[in-house]
Amino acid sequence: MQRRSFLTHSGALAAAAWAGNVAAQAQPAKVGVLIPQSGPAALFGPSSRACAELAAAEINGRGGVAGRPLQLVFGDAGLPPAEVSQSALRLWRGERCEAFVGMHDSAVRGALVGLFKGQVPYVYTPVYEGAECSPGTWVLGETPQQQLQPVLPWLAKERSLKRWYLIGNDYNWPRDSNAQAKKYIGTSGGSVVGEEYLPFTVDNFDASLAKIRQANADAVLITLVGGASVSFSRAFASFGLADKVTRLGTLIEENTVAGIGAQNTLNLYASAGYFASIDTPAARAFAARYAQKFGPQAPQLNALAQSCYDGLLLLEAMGNKARSLQVPALEKIAEGLRYSGPRGEATLQARHTRKDIFLARADGTALKVVQTFSGVDSGQVCKV
Amino acid sequence: MDALVGTYALNLLYQCALLALVALGLAIVFGQLGIMNMAHGEFLMLGAYAMVVVQRAGLPLWTGVLLAAVACALLGAVVERILIRPLVSRPFDTLLATWGLGILLRKSVEAGFGRGYQSIDHGWTGTLQVAGAPYPAYRLGLMAAIAIALGALAWWYRRSPAGARVQAMVSNPGLAEAMGLNTRRLALGAFVAGCVCAGVAGALLAPLVRIEPAMGMDWLLASFFVLVVGGLGSLGGLLAGAALIGGTQVAVASALDATAGSVAVLLLAILFLWRRPHGLVARP
Repeated sequence: MQRRSFLTHSGALAAAAWAGNVAAQAQPAKVGVLIPQSGPAALFGPSSRACAELAAAEINGRGGVAGRPLQLVFGDAGLPPAEVSQSALRLWRGERCEAFVGMHDSAVRGALVGLFKGQVPYVYTPVYEGAECSPGTWVLGETPQQQLQPVLPWLAKERSLKRWYLIGNDYNWPRDSNAQAKKYIGTSGGSVVGEEYLPFTVDNFDASLAKIRQANADAVLITLVGGASVSFSRAFASFGLADKVTRLGTLIEENTVAGIGAQNTLNLYASAGYFASIDTPAARAFAARYAQKFGPQAPQLNALAQSCYDGLLLLEAMGNKARSLQVPALEKIAEGLRYSGPRGEATLQARHTRKDIFLARADGTALKVVQTFSGVDSGQVCKV
Repeated sequence: MDALVGTYALNLLYQCALLALVALGLAIVFGQLGIMNMAHGEFLMLGAYAMVVVQRAGLPLWTGVLLAAVACALLGAVVERILIRPLVSRPFDTLLATWGLGILLRKSVEAGFGRGYQSIDHGWTGTLQVAGAPYPAYRLGLMAAIAIALGALAWWYRRSPAGARVQAMVSNPGLAEAMGLNTRRLALGAFVAGCVCAGVAGALLAPLVRIEPAMGMDWLLASFFVLVVGGLGSLGGLLAGAALIGGTQVAVASALDATAGSVAVLLLAILFLWRRPHGLVARP
């Protein structure tokens, strides 16, 4: 090789390397978004995807995270945990995702925490039973303490509820929720007159309804999920129980109420961190932007889908403060970090968030917020 | 305590009537054609969505029952012609073909109405005081209608010339054809009748149950258990199966809990498949 050509070649190489470096600076940060696209929770797939896409577009409009635009890569979290793990591994090692946002059940979360081992930031967003304290993991979802500690005594006083019947599907979220609920029922001067857990396949609640009537309950705490919640509440009202017995649910969102139907929602309350009808400037503006981006056929907004939007907001707030998406840098700045979104102001505290909780009452097939509880603690004691 | 027992008894009757209604279409198709229609639940789902359609259009709900019957009849006729007839006497292939048809119907409804739940508002929301406790009026009306319809069907099958022709085809298709009966037309009629029964059942149940594209699966399973226990292909078997499955489920769920009720039904189905595969009422 001649000296001149060596110089031109090495100059070109250096230029290429420099250009590559600039490209790396501007290279988008890939974020894996794991949402249910199949399985029993697939109903929430389209709305979750829309919320995540809206968040990414807005964050990129504000200049991205640590100077880099976000690029979302979606994975199906509606499969068994082992399969979701496989696709998460592909997104992480294959697609080079630098952070994950997940809206799925706790079994999948357990598998993902085991896979990531705190090496990649992971934000878990839906309502859940509490006690997740793994490094590199942050939890946005409402805990049972948040959904019940302020709400249950307030509702008990408001409607003079004393005799509670607890009914849920048979897995850890309803059981852990009810363990908390019993404390608040006790402190509000009430008692538990029945407690029942049903397998997911049960679609006939006649026997339970007869027991609720027999126990003379004046309130039912519902931790049934999805279709079971719909079937239960329809049958509940058909037996004429709705005008005498108050229902409170911690996973009753807009789709569930649509399925229960306007004739069956009398005295039905729901507690959550988000409703499509929250009447604050931030929530109204969010709903308007969502409607504008996805049009009149947009999938119905709900707490689970909206949590994906918040998950990306949290990544943005953490990434911009740390100027990085590396777990050690995020861990340093996370505790006490404040961010604000459609749900209001939230503060990271022990890997969970301290935030507002809303109690809504069904009116036909709409959920109308009747009471807001500000800055509710998650009740979690992770060591940070 | 009396009121509780009264409610349990009504629940038991209701469950039996419901299962008989839901399994009827499957029983007709299996009994008359020897085909297990895996899309049975989806025809039922279509019936429920017929109610959603008329409710959206602002029409009275009874037109939904009519729409369900007509839509399922037309669809059933097309399916019989292009899917069932070419696969006749290949039971496993029809099983797969109707399974695929079920997926197609589910996804079509999903594309048209979305995955979300639908609900039907109706005029019979009140309760009637029966046996010392309030019971939903719509359920009581439905139970009466099912009893009358099944009675009429049994009478028709035994007494009418058309019923005699169907019986002839079932017991000896070759001889029936040789005697000049158009077995092809009878087979078409039986399949369409099965689909219409499923659709009408779906429409009638729509005000009571959860409505979503995937709702058919639960009803297919329930119908299948009834036929396994009752025996395939007779009205007596259908009633016996509905009574035993429904009775066991409600009695065990009332006495213990719903988990035990589900387990009892599964055990019963396993026991029958193992020890008495022809069911309670064997085919004549």
